[in-house]
Amino acid sequence: MHRNAAGALIVVLALVLSRLPGDAQAPLRIGASISLTGTYASLGQMMKRGYDVCLKDVNAKGGALGRKVELVSYDDRSDPGTGVKLYEKLITEDKVDGVIGPYSSAITEAVANVTEKYKKVMLTPLGATSSIFKKGRRYVIGVITPSEAYLEGLIDIAARRGAKTAAFIYEDTLFPKSSVRDPGAAVDIAKKKGLQVTFVEAYPKGTTDFAALITKLKAAGPDVFGAATYFDDAVALTRQMKELNFSPKAYGVTVGGDLPKFYELLKQNAEYVYGPSQWETGLPYPGEKEFVEAFRQQFKEDPSYHAASSYSGCQIYVDAVRRAGSIDADRVREVLLKLETRTTLGDFKVDQDGLQIAHKMVTFQWQDGKKIIVWPDELASGKPRYPTPAWTQR
Amino acid sequence: MRRVVLPALAVVLAALAVYPTVASGYGVRAMLQLFMWVALAGSWNLISGLTGYVSFGHIAFFGAGAYATALAIARWHWPWPVAALAGGVAACLLALVIGYPCLRLKGPYFAISMLGLNEVLRALVSYFEGLTGGGSGLSLPTLEATIPIYYAMGAVAVAVTALAYAIITSRFGLRLMTIREDEVAAEAMGIDTARHKLAAFLLSAAGPGIVGGLFARDQGFIEPLSTFALVMTITMIVMVLFGGKGTVWGPVLGAVVLFVSQELVWARFPYVHQLLFGAIIVAVVLLMPRGVLGVLQQRYRLPRTI
Repeated sequence: MHRNAAGALIVVLALVLSRLPGDAQAPLRIGASISLTGTYASLGQMMKRGYDVCLKDVNAKGGALGRKVELVSYDDRSDPGTGVKLYEKLITEDKVDGVIGPYSSAITEAVANVTEKYKKVMLTPLGATSSIFKKGRRYVIGVITPSEAYLEGLIDIAARRGAKTAAFIYEDTLFPKSSVRDPGAAVDIAKKKGLQVTFVEAYPKGTTDFAALITKLKAAGPDVFGAATYFDDAVALTRQMKELNFSPKAYGVTVGGDLPKFYELLKQNAEYVYGPSQWETGLPYPGEKEFVEAFRQQFKEDPSYHAASSYSGCQIYVDAVRRAGSIDADRVREVLLKLETRTTLGDFKVDQDGLQIAHKMVTFQWQDGKKIIVWPDELASGKPRYPTPAWTQR
Repeated sequence: MRRVVLPALAVVLAALAVYPTVASGYGVRAMLQLFMWVALAGSWNLISGLTGYVSFGHIAFFGAGAYATALAIARWHWPWPVAALAGGVAACLLALVIGYPCLRLKGPYFAISMLGLNEVLRALVSYFEGLTGGGSGLSLPTLEATIPIYYAMGAVAVAVTALAYAIITSRFGLRLMTIREDEVAAEAMGIDTARHKLAAFLLSAAGPGIVGGLFARDQGFIEPLSTFALVMTITMIVMVLFGGKGTVWGPVLGAVVLFVSQELVWARFPYVHQLLFGAIIVAVVLLMPRGVLGVLQQRYRLPRTI
């Protein structure tokens, strides 16, 4: 009886506390779904950490609108349907003040319908497919360079050094597919640079056995080979390329190759692998040193661009809220559409549809265990090692 | 019994009918998904619970319905209720084509062929990207219709459960259960087993087809992977096994208990959730192979019609 009474009291107290009207001291709550399990888990983790570091910084500087800023996040299991449900939960049940994007284009595409419905501005630090922004949506704002540009560096490096043929494969989901097949993406870029595209094929999400695909690729024998991947498949593919001794002159993956874990798992087999990146440590952007240091200290590893973009996306959002003097979606949107700034991630400016147009990507190559930026020339910190030697000589 | 059950049912249905007026957007969506699971689990029960023909690819009908509906809306601009019904029709046609040969397979062969069907459909949808968008998925024009879809989904769940009741209390249902217990004996008694199985199979495909269509409209974006997801088939099987296969209320009970516990646990404890789900499967199979209602039926001599 006694215990019941105490329990009831706690419940009543909790109810009363949660129903208190939002006084100025209550934290500003920002909601997101993040892929903590499932195929995007490694990248989702980076995203979560980026958000965490950002909020720590923001709160150290007094938060926004005189309130602390807090992240409310759930795991979407790398599944668009779950993401949709979670954003609905965040907005209508948890009544968050604002939202910020999830990981991957497919999930962003799905949840954008919900955030539009409730008129919430959603900055998407890691949703990079142009089509998301070209459907007449009002409140979705991009942070990173869209998918078409991911393989441009790899192709350009190889083309300038005499490569003649190119081959591409991609995970058959929204973002990887668009980075290879959309107008202006890898296939078009290769053709424009005078390469002959000899092989393009998709593989399903969750593929772990690339033997058949690699056998076909070997038969096609391209000089440059680009794979539009996420993390798990990038590792498996590289491993099996070695086992089957498929060694193009230049080989790059779109996503996942940049994670420190990629090198840890593959060791010297990751050498010479190229990868596009929205950002790398050491680029001359404001706040870069502080961010990298804080990240290293807290998580004992280097941040990837996923972390940096999430960090900056969150900073930009909070900054826009401060400038708007309100969290109201329309006013924040006005600020974001006009904003031209340089953050830890690089340049930020969007067009009227919210598509990112100012940010620049780089291409790195793993050299002696480090990611050396080799493209574009004005941001490069080293020269590409081209062509890639045989597997036995790495 | 009836005097208690019928009024109780009426109260529950009335409460569900007014629920959207008081619930948050998430509450409505969560309930809508619960309806979806009730309909899916109930439909699986019609073929697998009653005839014993275990379908490991029932989500294929869901996916077929989802794509048929999405195409009807996106390419031919059909109103969504009509399109969702068309999804049900598409699923039934598919069941007819597949069921006719495959239901002659026994035991694991049928289960495996259904598993194959799901994978084949997913591959086809990915392959014909001109029509379906392939791996990029298919986006539908934005439409705010969550509440009408809530009622539609609820109606399908009620219809599937009522259908299960009607079948289980009919001679048709008795014949299906005879097939489950001993197919040779059923034939010897003069039951046309092939026709009965096919009829049950068609009825079990209609629900997932319509539900798939409603899901597609509600979500506004579908892609092959999350639409033909094997894990969904497994979830509906576990729901039925948990509640009690071959019963009217078993699938409902299983869907409610597992969906609610999932909803409470998964978002906050992503890793625990996967563990929990596995543990439930093992526990049910080992400790109560007939499911919760099966055990209750046995222990308390409850009527077969629950």
